[in-house]
Amino acid sequence: MHLTKLTTLGLALGFGLAAGCGDNGGKASPDAAVDASPDAATNTFPTVDCKKVTSAHCVQIASADASGLQTAANSIDDNTTIVLATGTYKMTNSLTLRNKGVHLIGQGIDMSTLDFGSATAQGNGVDSVGDDFLIQDLTVRDSKKDGIRVEASTGVVFRRIRATWTTPSSPTNGAYGIYPVKSSNVLVEDSRAENAADAGLYVGQCQHVIVRNNVVTGNVAGLEIENTQYADVYGNTAEDNTGGIVVFDLPGNPVVGRDTRIRNNTIKNNNHVNFAAGGTVASIPVGTGTFAMASRRVEITGNTYAGNNTGDIALISGLAIESDTTKWELDPATISGKIDDLGLLTTPAGKIMNFRGENILVANNTHTGSGTKPDAHDLLQLGLLLAVKYGSTPVDSVLYDAIGEDFDVKTPHYSNDNHMCVGGNTGGTFAALGLIQQMMDPATPLYRPASPFVPYDCTELNGGPVAEVVLP
Amino acid sequence: MRRFALLALCLLSPACGGGPATPDGPPVPPDANTALGGPVVVDVNAPPPTLLSAYKFFLWDPATGFQFNDRVVPYELNTALFSDYALKQRAIYIPPGTTAKFVDEDAFDLPIGGVAIKNFYFAADLRSPKTNLQLIETRLMVRHADGLHALPYIWSADQRDAVLSPAGEVRAISFIDYSGTLQTSNYLIPERNQCATCHGRQTAPSAPVETILVGLKARHLNRVTDYGELGKFNEISHMTDLGVLSGAPDPSTLSAAFDFRPIEANGVASLSEADLDVAARSYLDINCAHCHNPNAIQGITSQLFLNHDNNDGFHLGICKRPGSAGQGTGGFTFDIEPGDPDTSILYFRTHTTDVGAMMPLLGRSITHTRGTELLRAWIAAQPRIDCATE
Repeated sequence: MHLTKLTTLGLALGFGLAAGCGDNGGKASPDAAVDASPDAATNTFPTVDCKKVTSAHCVQIASADASGLQTAANSIDDNTTIVLATGTYKMTNSLTLRNKGVHLIGQGIDMSTLDFGSATAQGNGVDSVGDDFLIQDLTVRDSKKDGIRVEASTGVVFRRIRATWTTPSSPTNGAYGIYPVKSSNVLVEDSRAENAADAGLYVGQCQHVIVRNNVVTGNVAGLEIENTQYADVYGNTAEDNTGGIVVFDLPGNPVVGRDTRIRNNTIKNNNHVNFAAGGTVASIPVGTGTFAMASRRVEITGNTYAGNNTGDIALISGLAIESDTTKWELDPATISGKIDDLGLLTTPAGKIMNFRGENILVANNTHTGSGTKPDAHDLLQLGLLLAVKYGSTPVDSVLYDAIGEDFDVKTPHYSNDNHMCVGGNTGGTFAALGLIQQMMDPATPLYRPASPFVPYDCTELNGGPVAEVVLP
Repeated sequence: MRRFALLALCLLSPACGGGPATPDGPPVPPDANTALGGPVVVDVNAPPPTLLSAYKFFLWDPATGFQFNDRVVPYELNTALFSDYALKQRAIYIPPGTTAKFVDEDAFDLPIGGVAIKNFYFAADLRSPKTNLQLIETRLMVRHADGLHALPYIWSADQRDAVLSPAGEVRAISFIDYSGTLQTSNYLIPERNQCATCHGRQTAPSAPVETILVGLKARHLNRVTDYGELGKFNEISHMTDLGVLSGAPDPSTLSAAFDFRPIEANGVASLSEADLDVAARSYLDINCAHCHNPNAIQGITSQLFLNHDNNDGFHLGICKRPGSAGQGTGGFTFDIEPGDPDTSILYFRTHTTDVGAMMPLLGRSITHTRGTELLRAWIAAQPRIDCATE
């Protein structure tokens, strides 16, 4: 007797997909399940439905049907588009995707919302591993860990996505909103990332990336490019974060960052309280526009900076966060991507080290009203140093720690071994801090040359300009 | 339908129980095959069956436990992954005429059609782990030509069969733990794709993502287990003798992970310093290294590698700053501060039940008292280093 019951149960639960799922094969799918639903009178697919997508397979998820979405996500074949109806999907577990060619498409930001507020495990919201991934036109809210994490994938698109947490400035918010990591050929555009307790939009250990026309607000770090090669970051707005747009390498990571363009972005009023619960970003001074740390071949050009209270642009060595150079050693055999043309430091044992900040171009940015109130409470005490050194004078637009070069204010002699080029940044001011010398003797004056900032007056990177990223 | 009928009859009749089957080490009674209506059925060319009973792997009776069909061989691990105190019954099925291939370091290689079976069940009171049992889920890893396919089955409340359930489930489960305390787990039955979170591997940045087994490895199986009426055997020898494993050397020549059972029973107080290190590394290996190893998908970004054969102190976490732990740091600075567990992120994250901070990310919602006691003692026993001034 129980057999009948179980069989029925199996049919009901096991593959409830059949109704909403169909092979497109270039033709429109029947959508019987949708048309037959009680609320057929209300169009819950106003923007897109399976008839409008061209992938090999397509499945539509009814409004708010979280379990239907989970079943679909865990049952699909490669090259399936999942279309979400309007509505809020109350998710109790991560939405985990492991197929290739998955496209997850909603009806628009805040029209289709994945709400992970009631999840009980420390999962990401959307968690995908699989090439040719696309996520578009939806909101991901209150994930326990990262909002949307896409890992180890080639061909990744985030388009018109909002990743957010309901409570601003809460250290228990998840870490990253939009998070492609260890991936290549990545496009993030027209999206929003808000209230992340670490970084709103975080590109980590990727190669060939375009990040454009996004808005990041209320995060500790607005937009981060970490250990990434060939990233083009333009047209974004970073406002009201602790730090706006930052690029850096962390120690011990086998992707050595290079060739990053940060151009034509608006980076203003990034004076949000630093509410990070921990980690590297907890050290970001409140009021930071941009920093490049342990980075090489970076261009910071044509951006609009305004009202960042600590300062607009800082060029710093990785030794500022990890002074033990052995922790920056990398075995060349483990390295991803091209590095042989970078002239990286090597140890006698043949290890390479990437803590140096070097070969950076800053040009044609505008600077308005920043540096008026450096954060005197940041963990690295960099803001404190600035507050003491500058007093009531606004902090210079571009700061360089001058770690790793000859810095002697008495001779005076500044070698610019790191090839920092700010000569074209005629809209702002510049100072070399001599951070090591400051630590040994706090009375050491800053070096604040007038434009064109000799000997930092170069206007071209070694090895030529950073090329525009072109995705396949 | 006939095979279901037989299964039904058997489950309804106490006489079908055969020998004193226990979750720890049931015999393979001669009538299991008969009661199941024939040998195991695994067809890698057909869609997976909706009901677990279709495979005929085993009989389950909450009163008497598991009875396995022919060529289904149960095994245990020296130290097991903690899953909110769920009891686990593991077995492999190896098709007739084939064997699993012994592998030194990684998991044994299953032949096509071979299946790793893992049952998760709870006892109402862990102090009586063989009574009042409830089987929650059965996870299968079925070897196809293109690799392992993960299939989660959830058991019905009446315990008669399990249904293929790709979406998984989160379920509150209450029980009395080993110390007599009432615990409630937010038990996670993973969605199918989540299997890859622990069972995924990528040997190089551009290499394909493979699905791998975690527990079915020589060092975890190198132990003597009580197989009930059959006797007590080394598991590797036993599998070899049954003809389901080939290529295994004499187990006495192989290393073994630490047996956690005495620690679960009695704590860590009586462990020697050498045993403490082996036990802790065994615990970290099985509980953490599926993500925290250089070939993992997630976890590698932390550069914290807890695989048993990592001997690099930095990657083991000694005075290492976390990559991007966020609130997972608990406000602390280093993964391990030798000699000081209370400021070590590794101890904090494995001990806390703060959802935003705890490790492992999946499968734990409550604290493993004895496990974290072990990690605490291990860090405390390390010569003190003040990482901040080092």
